[in-house]
Amino acid sequence: MIFNIGYLLLITALLLSIFGIVTGYLGGQRRNPRLIQSSYNGILAVAGLLILSAIILWYGLLTDKFQVVYIWNHSERSLPVGYKFAAIWGGQQGSLLFWCLVLSVYSVAAVLSIRSRHAAILPYAYATLHASSLFFLVLLVFAANPFRMVGFVPEDGQGLNPLLQNYWMVIHPVMLYFGYVGMAIPFSFAVGALISKQLDSSWVRTIRRWTLIPWMFLSAGIIMGSQWAYMELGWGGYWAWDPVENASFLPWLTATAFLHSVIIQEQRGILKVWNMILIWSTYFLVILGTFTTRSGVLESVHSFARSDVGPYFLGYLIIVVFGFLYLLYTRMPLLRGENQIDGVVSRESAFLANNWLFAGITFATLWGTFFPMFSEILTGDRISVAAPWFNKVVGPLFLALLLLMGVGPLLGWRFTSPEALRRQFTWPTLLALVAAAAMFFVTTNIYPIIGMAICLFVLITILQEYTRGILARRRHNNESIPVAMGQLIRRNGRRYGGYIVHLGIVLIGVAVLGNEFFQQTTNVTLAKGESVEIAGYSLVYTGLESEREGNHVRIGARMVVFDADTGRELSSVLPQRNIYDKNPDMPTSEVGIRMTPLEDVYVVINGWDNSGNSATFTIYINPLTVWMWVGGIVIVLGVLMAIWPNPSQRAAFNREASYVPVAAGD
Amino acid sequence: MAELTEQRSLPQADVAAELPADGVATVPATRAVRVWQAVFVVVPLLFIALLALRLYQTNTSEQRAAGVAPDFTFTTFDGEMIALSELRGQGVVLNFWASWCDPCRDEAVLLEQTWQAEKEKGIVFLGLDYLDQEPQAKAYLDEYRVSYPNGPDLQSKAARDYGIKGVPETFFIDGEGKIAYMVIGPIMSPQQMEQGLSKIRP
Repeated sequence: MIFNIGYLLLITALLLSIFGIVTGYLGGQRRNPRLIQSSYNGILAVAGLLILSAIILWYGLLTDKFQVVYIWNHSERSLPVGYKFAAIWGGQQGSLLFWCLVLSVYSVAAVLSIRSRHAAILPYAYATLHASSLFFLVLLVFAANPFRMVGFVPEDGQGLNPLLQNYWMVIHPVMLYFGYVGMAIPFSFAVGALISKQLDSSWVRTIRRWTLIPWMFLSAGIIMGSQWAYMELGWGGYWAWDPVENASFLPWLTATAFLHSVIIQEQRGILKVWNMILIWSTYFLVILGTFTTRSGVLESVHSFARSDVGPYFLGYLIIVVFGFLYLLYTRMPLLRGENQIDGVVSRESAFLANNWLFAGITFATLWGTFFPMFSEILTGDRISVAAPWFNKVVGPLFLALLLLMGVGPLLGWRFTSPEALRRQFTWPTLLALVAAAAMFFVTTNIYPIIGMAICLFVLITILQEYTRGILARRRHNNESIPVAMGQLIRRNGRRYGGYIVHLGIVLIGVAVLGNEFFQQTTNVTLAKGESVEIAGYSLVYTGLESEREGNHVRIGARMVVFDADTGRELSSVLPQRNIYDKNPDMPTSEVGIRMTPLEDVYVVINGWDNSGNSATFTIYINPLTVWMWVGGIVIVLGVLMAIWPNPSQRAAFNREASYVPVAAGD
Repeated sequence: MAELTEQRSLPQADVAAELPADGVATVPATRAVRVWQAVFVVVPLLFIALLALRLYQTNTSEQRAAGVAPDFTFTTFDGEMIALSELRGQGVVLNFWASWCDPCRDEAVLLEQTWQAEKEKGIVFLGLDYLDQEPQAKAYLDEYRVSYPNGPDLQSKAARDYGIKGVPETFFIDGEGKIAYMVIGPIMSPQQMEQGLSKIRP
């Protein structure tokens, strides 16, 4: 009974969003405040309905109501409570409901905070937000009903996919959803700006915060996915250029380009068409990504239960393409740049190069992801495009981007004088060359040499900027160093927070270089008590340990790690296999890992025999990999610094906002 | 941020922006712009069309996973056209083979013998030649005196629809078009053959 109510709530939300589209659009056309208010209320109402629906599904999950097909397929009695809760995003229908829920909550937050500005754009933004919700509600109501029931109550559920039963599975999809879904907000405002022809740059400034927030979640989600791959899948790496990984990466690329390019639009009024294309691409890639992970068109390690949602997605993609391009083309004359790019050695041209590099990487990733599929359709031959191709094509582009990340912020607007160039770049360049020379002692491979040199270059530019900023504040205000730094960040959060984000990227770059070029590995079968030596470590296999948990058995092979030169015991690692009762042919593994700032000792257990008298392992030594996870945290901190509300900024904003006439929307 | 230029324009009142009225006439889109505009429309649409095609294809493999034998049509080496759907009501033994495939030779005699014995009893044998060339294929068929219908699987379409991982693979399809039994590798004995046949006898 209650689940039928859940379905009814979805239908009601669907009807309300149609209503919201109509009132929003008409309200904007006719400048009718009551229609606009109605559309705004619709956003709140839809959110309320979706929250209730989600609560109903959670109720069913937590109380084992297996007559609901979704719950039957994705849960079981002995599943720990945390995973029962997380099972809402463990399968097709539930995750679509979750998508819709997150979208509605984001919409509420955004419209509440942007309420009093951009009155001309708001009605159309409301309508577009409703349209996004409408698409997913159509899916839920017609193709993927999470509340579908059977006429009897099954004894027990079929269990959650074992691969999904770990800490990461609770957190990584949530981060990704918050990232993906949030991109609908800036997109809706872009559409609103186009429809209302309010194409000056003030909407861009407002929407930047609402792009940074999902960007932060998307970055965190991608890093967590990498961490999951590293810790769980046990192949020594963290990124396989798997189609579904790429699906999350593509919108990240265009969103990052957008975030940077709008700075130029704010300051100089150019690159307006670029920015429209970038935000449109981001939304298109979000929908495309959601489609590819669910429709089965691409094979990947992520496999969702397929259902009939594919054609709906394709229809929506066509609407997004045609609709947006129509709006863009008819408004092109209004998007002409207000200025020119004056010189090559300028911040504007650096950001333009940034756009082109990101576009190149996006295109290459799209190509590599979809080319096998297209080639198979057209020629019948199945090709596979795997990591080596991506690394070869995209690697140099990323190196160039890293370099630009260090150079760009230090160039001047419109033009940089030779004295300024000297002042900004002497130290970073010198130290980078020293680093490159030092690297020659470690390797003769040109890639990591250049890569590390560039990383150091960027690091020095960031340190330089902070040092100069702090020194300047001390000179003017006589502040102590910590206070100076705090004030720098508070007053210029966007700039100095941005530098911290760049620092995080550099750390990730360092980790990638370490893992990619300096990894060592070996495969070995050891008898109990036998040892193996690799990279200055000596690892001894001491025996099997097994434990029973709620719904699985954990079998681990203990390895003690010694320093090979001194014989000192460093630690022990326990690579494990988890064998699940409901899915015995899908064991999962836990990697045994010892992390230090310099390198990871990473052990995977492949098999054992004779009740543990011998076991087979793959051992990796992964240099510098821990910095990837540190870099992820640094990125999040940097974004928080950048979006933190700032008293002086708010005052400036409010001054502008007070020019908006009271009549519309309030 | 001392060096930033102040470019903030105050938000307009409710009136939508008009086209620039500063005396500069609206310049019609240049040729380059029009090319870019066309590219941005055509490329995504092509992309979506290919996705749609691919979606349709994965549906056939879903069918197979559900036990339904995907339909196919092929032309035999003798020029005759045969469609699986026309053979409803009969049991069909569908064998994927190739002239370069050694294990296929292990079952070739058995297949032909069984065909001779079963063809009056409502069982049809079909052979689809995988990734092969006509002269070699015909030579193979002559060598084993194969008399049941054989033809090339053009573009390996049927192979993909049936999800074969190699040759030989044999599918036993019943009168309702469902895959009742499947053998990966050569059929080694008349008993194994009978196991499949018993499931599809009309």
